[in-house]
Amino acid sequence: MQKKIILLIILGFFQISTIIAQERTITGQVTSAADGMTLPGVNVLVKGTNIGAVTGMDGNYSVQASENATLVFSSLGFATIEVGVAGQTVINLTMEEDLESLSEVVVTAFGIQRKKNILPYAAQQISGDDVNQTKVGNVASGLSGKISGLQITQGNAIGGSVNVVIRGAKSLTGNNQALFVVDGVPVDNSNTNSTSQQRGAGGYDYGNAAADIDPNNIESINVLKGAAASALYGSRAANGVVMITTKKAKKGLNISVNSALIIGNIDKSTFVEYQKDYGAGRSSPYGRDGFLLFDVNGDSEDDLVVPTFAPRSWGPRYDPNLLVYHWDAFDSSSPNYLQPKPWVYPKNGPETFYETSVSSNHSILIDGLVGDKGAVKFGYTRNDERGTVPNSRVLKNIFSLTASYKLLSNLTLGAMGNYSQIDGKGRYGTGYDSGRNVNSTFRHFNQTNVDIQEQKDAYFRTRRNITWNWADPTTPEGIRPAFSNNAYWTIYENYQDDKRNRVFGNIYLNYKVTEWLELLGRISVDNYNEFQQERVAVGSSGIPAYSRFDRSYNETNYDLLATVKKELSEDFDFNALAGINIRRNTITSVFSSTSGGLIVPNLYSISNSVGTVPAPIENYQPKAVDGYFGGVTLTYRDFLTLDGTIRRDISSTLPSDNNAYNYYALSGSWLFSHHLEDLEWISSGKIRANYATVGNDAPWGSLKDVYDKPNPFGSGLLFSLPDTKNNSDLKPEMTESREIGLEMAFFKNRLGFDASYYHTNTVDQIIPVAASLATGYSSKFVNAGDIENKGIELSLFGSPVRTPDFSWNVNVNFSRNRNKVLSLFENSTNLRLASFQGGVSLNASVGRPYGEIQGATYEYLNGERVVKENGLWQVSSTTSNIIGNINPDWIGGVSNTFRYKDLSLSFLIDVRKGGDLFSLDMYYGSAAGLYPRTVGLNELGNPVRDAVADGGGIILPGVTADGSPNDKRVTITSNNSFYEPQSEFVYDASYVKLRELSLSYSLPEKLTPKYFKAIDLSLIGRNLWIIHKNVPYADPEENLSSGNIQGYQSGSYPTTRTIGLNVNIKI
Amino acid sequence: MKKIFVLIIPFILLFSGCTKDITDFNEETKRAAVVPQAPLFTNSVKSLSDGLASASVNVNIFRHFVKHWGQAVIQEATQYDYITRAVHENWWSRMYKDVLNDLQESALIISEDATLSPAQKANQMAMVDIMQVYTYDILIKTFGDIPYSEALDPNNLFPVYDDAQTVYNDLMSRLDQDISNLNPSAAGFSSTEDIIYQGDVSKWIAFANSLKLRMAMTVADVDNGAASSAFEQANSDAINTEEENAFIQYYNSPPNNNPLYDQLVLANRTDYIAAKDLIDPLIQLNDPRLPGYFGLNDEGEYVGGVVGQASNYPGMSKPSARIAAPDAPNVLIDLVEVEFLRAEAIERGYDIPGTAEEHYNNAITNSILAWGGTDEQAEAYLNQPEIAYSTAQGDWKQKIGVQKWIALYNRPFEAWTEMRRLDHPQLPLVENAISGFPNRLRYPGNEQQLNNANYINAASNIGGDETETKLFWDIF
Repeated sequence: MQKKIILLIILGFFQISTIIAQERTITGQVTSAADGMTLPGVNVLVKGTNIGAVTGMDGNYSVQASENATLVFSSLGFATIEVGVAGQTVINLTMEEDLESLSEVVVTAFGIQRKKNILPYAAQQISGDDVNQTKVGNVASGLSGKISGLQITQGNAIGGSVNVVIRGAKSLTGNNQALFVVDGVPVDNSNTNSTSQQRGAGGYDYGNAAADIDPNNIESINVLKGAAASALYGSRAANGVVMITTKKAKKGLNISVNSALIIGNIDKSTFVEYQKDYGAGRSSPYGRDGFLLFDVNGDSEDDLVVPTFAPRSWGPRYDPNLLVYHWDAFDSSSPNYLQPKPWVYPKNGPETFYETSVSSNHSILIDGLVGDKGAVKFGYTRNDERGTVPNSRVLKNIFSLTASYKLLSNLTLGAMGNYSQIDGKGRYGTGYDSGRNVNSTFRHFNQTNVDIQEQKDAYFRTRRNITWNWADPTTPEGIRPAFSNNAYWTIYENYQDDKRNRVFGNIYLNYKVTEWLELLGRISVDNYNEFQQERVAVGSSGIPAYSRFDRSYNETNYDLLATVKKELSEDFDFNALAGINIRRNTITSVFSSTSGGLIVPNLYSISNSVGTVPAPIENYQPKAVDGYFGGVTLTYRDFLTLDGTIRRDISSTLPSDNNAYNYYALSGSWLFSHHLEDLEWISSGKIRANYATVGNDAPWGSLKDVYDKPNPFGSGLLFSLPDTKNNSDLKPEMTESREIGLEMAFFKNRLGFDASYYHTNTVDQIIPVAASLATGYSSKFVNAGDIENKGIELSLFGSPVRTPDFSWNVNVNFSRNRNKVLSLFENSTNLRLASFQGGVSLNASVGRPYGEIQGATYEYLNGERVVKENGLWQVSSTTSNIIGNINPDWIGGVSNTFRYKDLSLSFLIDVRKGGDLFSLDMYYGSAAGLYPRTVGLNELGNPVRDAVADGGGIILPGVTADGSPNDKRVTITSNNSFYEPQSEFVYDASYVKLRELSLSYSLPEKLTPKYFKAIDLSLIGRNLWIIHKNVPYADPEENLSSGNIQGYQSGSYPTTRTIGLNVNIKI
Repeated sequence: MKKIFVLIIPFILLFSGCTKDITDFNEETKRAAVVPQAPLFTNSVKSLSDGLASASVNVNIFRHFVKHWGQAVIQEATQYDYITRAVHENWWSRMYKDVLNDLQESALIISEDATLSPAQKANQMAMVDIMQVYTYDILIKTFGDIPYSEALDPNNLFPVYDDAQTVYNDLMSRLDQDISNLNPSAAGFSSTEDIIYQGDVSKWIAFANSLKLRMAMTVADVDNGAASSAFEQANSDAINTEEENAFIQYYNSPPNNNPLYDQLVLANRTDYIAAKDLIDPLIQLNDPRLPGYFGLNDEGEYVGGVVGQASNYPGMSKPSARIAAPDAPNVLIDLVEVEFLRAEAIERGYDIPGTAEEHYNNAITNSILAWGGTDEQAEAYLNQPEIAYSTAQGDWKQKIGVQKWIALYNRPFEAWTEMRRLDHPQLPLVENAISGFPNRLRYPGNEQQLNNANYINAASNIGGDETETKLFWDIF
């Protein structure tokens, strides 16, 4: 609606210049083919002249034209139609929606709508339906593969965080996530995941806060990729902006109900597959043949017993004729108590732990216009997401209310409010944390002989921690877990839960002072509280514990904005804006935990601590930024545009004498197709270029030094210096970006592309630069570093077939980013971003891409790997060797939509080429003898696990220190299971995925019941098929958390394939 | 119409309310910016003790180096793989960041404290400095050349490494200065602040002199003259009774328990077992300390596992309940160690009272008593020809080395140092070792990455950054 009004204004002057000089008046009405509604604002032009008209609110038009003239009907969002007059005086017609050209008007900073064909910077808009076609829980995950320049990384945990990076990492250690803005409200998208969780030391992925945005309520998403596009949002927009516009109220009373039922199952290609030849134990003998030997059943004869305490699978070879006492022989509740079982690979491996999940998503949206002054929209969504891990659930209830009222013809009051409740329970534990992440057992250290369904029965029979991993089966006291819990105990007893209640919204007053001046005052609020509880139950392996984390986030933005829109002359259009943005935000949090265990089992409160309760960790972090900005846009004859913006920020996190910084952007575009109107096959063509800077402030509390306060030692008080040295001489950091782009469309917009090249540098970064620990600190805040990102983005669209009955649309996105660390602090050449378990680290090194994996590797001699005298690899003594780069070579997506009459099929292929990850799963799992790569036959046809004396073992392909070929044969055993260096476990994380598939059927009008406007049925699927990947037994995309720490897998979860049925009813 | 314009007023008010100075938004209101000196001192002593006492595979794996303990399941630490879990980096980080930096900060605050009497100030400064010397001694014995002259300076993020022997000489002279600055008639830290001696300054004098004996003996093989004069100076004021032993008394209640309690009891970790190399001679010689050191296996026997190789956990002896107790003390230096040093000093010809045998017997007797034995048991033990100083096997280095190795049970770092220095007992390399015997730890991975130029210099100066490289004092 609003779009059309603006269009009317823009096109108004065409009408003025119309010269009434023709013989005949032609009238008619234009309607939409989609819903039969009349179409206002359609431009009707007599071809070859500048004579034309615009349809009114009722869709009627009237134009003077000659008898044999051709009328060109065009309207944004619809396919242009040419009709010969041929003597007619009444021409009625219906126009078809044209999805590609829908993006001709884009929403830019502060909700200002601009024509895309003169926009001087990169912006890519997609519709809300594009994002939510397959009912995503998190808006961000629905963007994957659909926007060029945008890299989405997401793990497989339910409600997990989604990493959203536009055009590469710009900050070495700071936030690189895109800014989310909903109807002008900046929505916080942080995650509360701790650094240790992010580097795989265990914990939960609590998701990122963008998950509170209701995907069902989105009209469109516009991604502003560069700094020029977003300078007006201030520093936070340096990483690009994801601008979300919610659905608008439409005429009449409209009700839309949507219901989806979604079934999930794991993709077995992303989960472990064990070797099936050997069971529990270590290579060295425990009693006889690798079994324990003692009398279990009291017949005074020694029995064979599984060495339950050793979570390894280097034990005896399976033999169905061998009767062995397993873990359940020591579980008095088991039917198998004191009974032996055959020594065989079990029927039910760990893959049977994962269940079929049934999730649902219901929403209702009611909107309408109240008289001719008001508009109201109410939305409610209930998204009940269940994971394939039992006992996991994330339930979201989201309410929204949007209303506006025209107090006067030129004064509008409006408000938008969004309230969400997220209840999580049993979120997936992550990383190397067998107490919480079952995969830490399944993938790292396990016994292949354990039947997971028997473990399940044992837990449900007793509700006790009946683990396969008894510490010592020979004594009653040893019937307790050694390292690993029963997996069902872990998820049903050591579960977490959390709540997040959030309100975000705004209230605004829009005053159109004159024809050319508009004032907007707006207050936006984003406010949420979250509460997280974590447990380790009494009876678990590890220290029983309870912890709670309470955090609240508040942000208030006060905006005052004046916009000027003035036609300076027939040739020049002038637009300007000036504004003030006052931002106040506060983060407060308290973390508290028990120590030394829990007194009363199953009671989870801080006061139930065995030891003295450690002092809670409190944070109170208020922040203020005052911004003043202005911008000017000058358009010449609708084909040349020059844009300039400037902003000054004053931030509380910088030293008071150096807390203001200015930045600016300059952009231009030339719609060169304006000069090529004779070339009919070119629908439009535009070149754009821009240069922008964005300043940034310091993280909160990085100026002055304070002390940590450890728990008192008895009555002795303790204080300690923190790990990071602060710096009171910080100055603002700056990102500088350049971008050029070319957009073209051909053949009546049936084919087109948008290409960009960009180059950004972030200099004087405020980073806690890593220091030699001999300084007494691990890092110190400084201004240092320069990181460069260069890349190309390409979006292609095409409609190879477009007939009334059948159409085919294709969209292709391609992004390639190259980043390079140009300098760090002083002479330092390496900044460690994270160090991981397994002896590898993630780094930024000077002259190298941001995010390289370093660790030990093979030693080479003349290109051959060196083998030591003992027949095992010579591994480098240094751990600073580059063994991988996490950055993909390129990413891309291809989506296709086929429509035949009322049936439509669309699918999205999501591609990532290149980029590495280190898999602790493969490193540890190999050391534990779990995978097929640890078994097999050597060239003599004997098992590699057999003793060399028996013809077993292998000769590692390499050379000895003197260069001669290695001929030393070694047995692969648990004792040398760590013989391969870390570099062996770095994998190419490329993938090709069938990300989305949707088959929809819109009930034809004649089948649609009365009073119903439309009924759509669809079959939807996500992550259905990984067409190609190189990482064994895992999803290459799986990560631990959003953030800068990527390229590491530990305890990774299998991909969930989902298939669902969606019904959408419009009344 | 007018009514409507009233609406604009709140907007104007809101904006006018937001223009105050914003600098104070960044003030930290939950953490102290100014603190007294003592809590920093106490914290650093506790951090040091926690590190020395710990058996975490991420922190302290020296019990496996010296073959006091093996592991039944996980073999990284026992096979000398300390890289995968970055033990070398964690050790370095603990000493510099958690101990030395807080000590230095404490000294800074003491020196600026105008309310302290000069004598108390001198005492506090000396105690802080003694702990710094104690910690640097550990770093030098772990790595070799280390950052020292440029260390602990946040304005120099990449400090150079100094020659270990030069640093050692400086540490010795600092220790001399500290000893002369200690004044037993004035106050030091209070009884709750001083978690070693509860404020008894005279015991600090014994502690500092004992540390001096330890350090003097460290350089005995390379600079016997300096060693003998330092030893002779310090000997009489060093620890002479067990009341002067320096130890941290942990508490019964978490989180102030001995870290071993976390690892052995709370975490239920079923991996640590007695090493065959230690438990066999204890059994064979009927050592009265055996029940204090280890528990019985499931069949009521003492059995040790082969270090570096998986073991049958149920069949093995585990570390004793005594050392797994939450309130088990952790010794920093004691009479046992000092008496062994004295025995050695006499063998080296230093002019101190007594005979090597007396001090040797004294050391062992004290050790047995400390582990719950009796005088009679000690006497019987010493009477065995394998133990008696006159008849025990080997030269004095072997006699003292073997017994000191036994007595330094649960003092893993000192045990490792003395095994390297005395070259006894000569135990076979652990099974499946990934390197030779660790004569040192390699420099941390982040020193290679961050402080590369200085790292490369240091590595070449010490003769290569390898596990097997011998340190300057370890020439035999």
